[in-house]
Amino acid sequence: MQYQAAVAWGYMAAAMEGLNRVERLASESAVVVFSVSTCCMCHAVKRLFCGMGVSPAVVELDHEPHGDDMARALARLLGCHGPSAVVPVVFIGGKLVGAMDRVMAAHINGSLVPLLKQAGALWL
Amino acid sequence: MKARDQGEGDRNTGLPNQLMATNFFDQEGAAYFGELEEALMHGVAGITSEQEETSFCTSRPPTLEIFPSWPIRFQQASKTEGSTDSGSVQNTISQMNSEESPGSRKASSELSGKQKEEVASDAPQTNQKLKTQEKRRLVGSTSDKDGKELDPKTLKRLSQNREAAKKSRLRKKAYIQQLESSRIKLTQLEQDLQRARAQGLFLGGCGTDGNVSSVVFDMEYSRWLDEGCKNTMELRQGLEVHLPDADLRVIVDKCLTHYDELSQLKATAAKSDVFHIITGMWATPAERCFLWMGGFKPSELLRVIMPQLDPLTEQQLVGLYNLQQSSQQAEEALYQGLEQFQHSLANSVAGDSLIESANVGNYMGHMALAIGKLANLEGFVRQADNLRQQSLHQMHRILTIRQAARCFLAIDEYHSRLRALSSLWASRPRENLMNESAVAVTTELQIVQQPVDGHFSGF
Repeated sequence: MQYQAAVAWGYMAAAMEGLNRVERLASESAVVVFSVSTCCMCHAVKRLFCGMGVSPAVVELDHEPHGDDMARALARLLGCHGPSAVVPVVFIGGKLVGAMDRVMAAHINGSLVPLLKQAGALWL
Repeated sequence: MKARDQGEGDRNTGLPNQLMATNFFDQEGAAYFGELEEALMHGVAGITSEQEETSFCTSRPPTLEIFPSWPIRFQQASKTEGSTDSGSVQNTISQMNSEESPGSRKASSELSGKQKEEVASDAPQTNQKLKTQEKRRLVGSTSDKDGKELDPKTLKRLSQNREAAKKSRLRKKAYIQQLESSRIKLTQLEQDLQRARAQGLFLGGCGTDGNVSSVVFDMEYSRWLDEGCKNTMELRQGLEVHLPDADLRVIVDKCLTHYDELSQLKATAAKSDVFHIITGMWATPAERCFLWMGGFKPSELLRVIMPQLDPLTEQQLVGLYNLQQSSQQAEEALYQGLEQFQHSLANSVAGDSLIESANVGNYMGHMALAIGKLANLEGFVRQADNLRQQSLHQMHRILTIRQAARCFLAIDEYHSRLRALSSLWASRPRENLMNESAVAVTTELQIVQQPVDGHFSGF
């Protein structure tokens, strides 16, 4: 019983760790993209920002310590439980924007650019 | 009356098709109506419905399509006379009431203008009112409004009016009967179709390489197309009769939901057979030529549609221009992502020993890697569909409801023309001599041109 509690506590600690890291990294830059180096959709979202003249801070989860914990924390933030990849996940101004579909929807309905300007990632 | 005689002379050469029907916003419309009435009276007088259809449909499916249009045209024709009717006809029954008026309108063309106005303005009212008013005016008394005694000439005219009114009533009865029988036929056809589709599922499943989901998707897609046709017709009619914005909004929302449905269908199908979706095997060849990630390219569609949406306000132009820009950026980003995917997949397939015969383990290892990567393709199709949906929703947000209706109509029409292009191309004559084939194609196009125009403007 103690062992089970210890394991559960271990999981919780790891989850807390992941969430903390995510939040810390997300607030460090105006635009933060959590990505995996081999992920093609992450490449697409990076190209999108570069195309708009924004240079996002990229966190490659497969190169970071505690990358798995962060991935789990992100999955929980997004509310997705399926086996599909959680990345890319975008934060602007420290706030969660979402996965690729949310970012594209925001760009199409015209809300992405004001958000970027507000965060100071885009001028003009 | 001279025009009417001419019309009668032409009667037996067959009814004019929809093209000619578009040309009678003028007084000659009365003559044309006379012609049509005669033909219809023959239909009512006991000829079978089959003959009826052939006697006044030239190259087109059931009469259902013809009827709704000429009462509307009558509305316009009566408007050009300067009548006071409202023009906000809500359904075909009330349209039919306006149809009664041509009979009495024509016969009473010699009556005073005031009486003519009364007849025309009665058009949107119910049948009962019209009957009683006519009765009061034409049948009841032998003196007109001024109380003077009427001469035999006027009496004759009045009796002619009565005759025309009677004819109109009979015509209406015939039309309603036709509508009812067509409705029954339609439900039967739909049931047959459902049954055939259910059977087709089993047959199709055996025919292909066992991939049932693509067969299912193809069937769902063809059903989706049929629903789309209905929506297009509703849009067209709604615009033509100048429906109030609230009603038009319902139709437009239905169209938007309709497109959402397709995204859903594609997403489900892509889960099991992404190649079928992304290579556009469900679409016609011409559509496939323009295929972008399993569907239309939003910025390209916007580029084609936008000039036909005039007039637009300054703000709307800016909004649409921004939409085009942002969708171009998103498209570019997705495309670059897809390119990287292709590079990665190509590397997996090539492996490191294309020339030396690789051992089975190595080969299978590379294939397994490739299959693992293929799972990402579904994500790209989903994002592309998402982009398409967002663009349509944004267009809907920018435009007024009437503009949005015209916009969706334009989009539907554009895609259906692409599909028509595919059919035309498939059925073009392939002669040995280049000259012959060029001539044949142009004549074919000319021949097709008329009915195609008529077909599209027939709604």
